Amino acid sequence: MDVGGFFRPYILLLLGDYLPMSQEKENESKQEPEEGGPPRVSLKIQTPRGLWSTTEPANAAKRPIYPISTKIGQVITDAREVFTFTETGNQYVLLHLQTKLDSERTIASYHLVDGTLLVLSVQGGNAQ
Amino acid sequence: MSVPAGVSLEAIQQDLVDAVQFAASAGLVVDALALSEESLLFNITFENRLGEKFFAEFDCRNFPLHPPTIEFTDAARQARGLKHLYPNVFHGMPCVCMRYNRKAYGELGGPHGEWRVVDWHLPTDGGGPITTLAMIISDMHTKVLDSTGRIN
Repeated sequence: MDVGGFFRPYILLLLGDYLPMSQEKENESKQEPEEGGPPRVSLKIQTPRGLWSTTEPANAAKRPIYPISTKIGQVITDAREVFTFTETGNQYVLLHLQTKLDSERTIASYHLVDGTLLVLSVQGGNAQ
Repeated sequence: MSVPAGVSLEAIQQDLVDAVQFAASAGLVVDALALSEESLLFNITFENRLGEKFFAEFDCRNFPLHPPTIEFTDAARQARGLKHLYPNVFHGMPCVCMRYNRKAYGELGGPHGEWRVVDWHLPTDGGGPITTLAMIISDMHTKVLDSTGRIN
């Protein structure tokens, strides 16, 4: 009796559930801190084109998980890349509540913790 | 040339998905409850760092062919277009002098006779293009935060 044949559809179903999770874990592990490296923090970045998080957007090439020594400017650059903010001339600023974060300062200097929501604000010109 | 109200409504609702999510994350209050084909309006409450509230009305007739007409009102939405209703970071006319605001165009009495309303996606001086409702809200939010009071 071919027992394997009987169970095969169930195994495939289970794999169907399992594969995305294993893929997710693989993505996460790519951002694990190196041995002895600085701690990492997982951020949420709201932009005018959507939320960037560990799960959104689904097709994002990178995730907002950073060593706390990362400069704010790098987070801005990455968020712009994820949402293809390629327009030149605008100013891009990260806000935490009502505070503008200095792009030259590090994540650690603002004591941002896991899950902190930041807002990527896009500012155009100002005609007179 | 005008855009049928139904088409405008659909475009606004589509654009508002990102805009409302952005506004909520930024701590802004969006009121689009009365949005309909008969009333293509929604309102947003902005706030500066001193805690002063500013109430903006977005009239989206002919959107997306034309940009919204943005006007600051009082809390009750009765008075509008008065200097003291505006944060002091905008033009003293008073007007949000950006290509994304129909009020800024000469054809509606605004200061910019050199702009064509159909070119509203082009950059305004000193910046890049602001092309969606979410980006408009983002731009205004950043500017209002920096205001230190009202236009006198």
